[in-house]
Amino acid sequence: MVMLLVLKERLRSFYGKYAALVDGIVKFGYSFLAFYLLNENIGFMEVLKNPLVPPAFSVLCAFLPYSLISFLLGVVMVVHIYSVSLEIALVTAVFLISVMLLYYGFQPGDSYWLVLTPIAFILRVPYVIPLLAGLSGTLITAVPVCCGVAVYYILLYVKQNAGVLTNDASVDITQKFVQIIRTMFSNDMMVVMILTCLVGILVVYLLRSLSVDYAWFLAIVIGTIVQMAAVFVGAFLFDVTVSIGELIVGVIVAIAVAMVYHFFVFAVDYSRTEYTQFEDDDYVYYVKAVPKFVVSKPDVKVQRINNPGRMRRGAREKEV
Amino acid sequence: MLNEDKIKLMNEIAMFEKRGGKNIFPVNRYFRGDYISSRMLRSFFFYTFCYILCVFLWGLCNMERLLNTLNLDELTVLGSRAALFYVTGLVVYLAITFLVYRRRYEYARRGMKVYVAKLKRLEKRYEFQNRAKELTKEGG
Repeated sequence: MVMLLVLKERLRSFYGKYAALVDGIVKFGYSFLAFYLLNENIGFMEVLKNPLVPPAFSVLCAFLPYSLISFLLGVVMVVHIYSVSLEIALVTAVFLISVMLLYYGFQPGDSYWLVLTPIAFILRVPYVIPLLAGLSGTLITAVPVCCGVAVYYILLYVKQNAGVLTNDASVDITQKFVQIIRTMFSNDMMVVMILTCLVGILVVYLLRSLSVDYAWFLAIVIGTIVQMAAVFVGAFLFDVTVSIGELIVGVIVAIAVAMVYHFFVFAVDYSRTEYTQFEDDDYVYYVKAVPKFVVSKPDVKVQRINNPGRMRRGAREKEV
Repeated sequence: MLNEDKIKLMNEIAMFEKRGGKNIFPVNRYFRGDYISSRMLRSFFFYTFCYILCVFLWGLCNMERLLNTLNLDELTVLGSRAALFYVTGLVVYLAITFLVYRRRYEYARRGMKVYVAKLKRLEKRYEFQNRAKELTKEGG
């Protein structure tokens, strides 16, 4: 534990020294992963599928704010989809524009959830997102997370039906629209996952805000159990199949990631909790103070008490 | 000679400007009513634009049905239903906008009070320092 706390202190001081560089690297990694996964899953536009495109875009993104990175990713996604089907590209563009204007018109600055959610779904660890969103955000975070789930299922639909959509030139455009919209928005699995994310975020957020010992730990454990229950209930109600192995692996990874986040953001020592009570003219205050785990970074200095150079010289003089 | 208290205060003010400035200073240029109504107007346009896009998509989906069974009665029913959806959604969205920006305005006003208090403290420091300099000159 002490070693981990020392590591945390080292990382903190490293970030303090090189904040701009670390931010740039994080943005580069985040955008590279997003562009790479886009290309791997729906890379239908030949020009953008070039392996040099993700690194080139990511270098540019390292200097951009997260909102612009999300915008750029949205544009690339629509362009890829356009090369398969104009109709889906149109539906996706309308969906993204509506989210951008109606939700991001309020300037909440959390557009990274819209990108991180599909990434987590593609990497088969979707249960991480409600845990992290509940621990780090507010209840409003549920909006971009749910939109992210919808984006993932749009990507999945395009990926699974790319062949049919490309060769389906004979079908009338209106029939195509009806078919696409019906298939995309009546996806039961998408509804189940949106409900799971909503319930997960709500439970985690409410539990971690409680004034009880180990609130964050409880929020992670109960949030995970609630998510699993929501998936089972949803699968039963909507009659969809869920892979148990994938669910268990996803849940274990989600707990591990949430614990790491918990350690780095909210490491407190409940054994040294103190309760005080005082009052002023208007209120009586009951204060619960929980100290944070703090260790100082070991400052190792090597002090030489002998001088090897001088000793060697002395030995040579003796020999002479 | 460096005045440590003054430097700390100036640093505090600079940090406050950097962190909260983006949310506080632009808001304080408006009266409360003007600020909220301008945001509501913007929301009205955003909502209307998105609604038109959705109606356009809906129209593309139902183009065949619309062209085959085009009569005045059905168009009137469709139009009134579309108007009902539009107005209900708009009222809900504008209500959310009103609540969000009212809260934001109050937050910005409180932030501005804190900022002004800090500036006044800094001004007093300057006055005190100038007065001390003058007294030293007079004494010398």
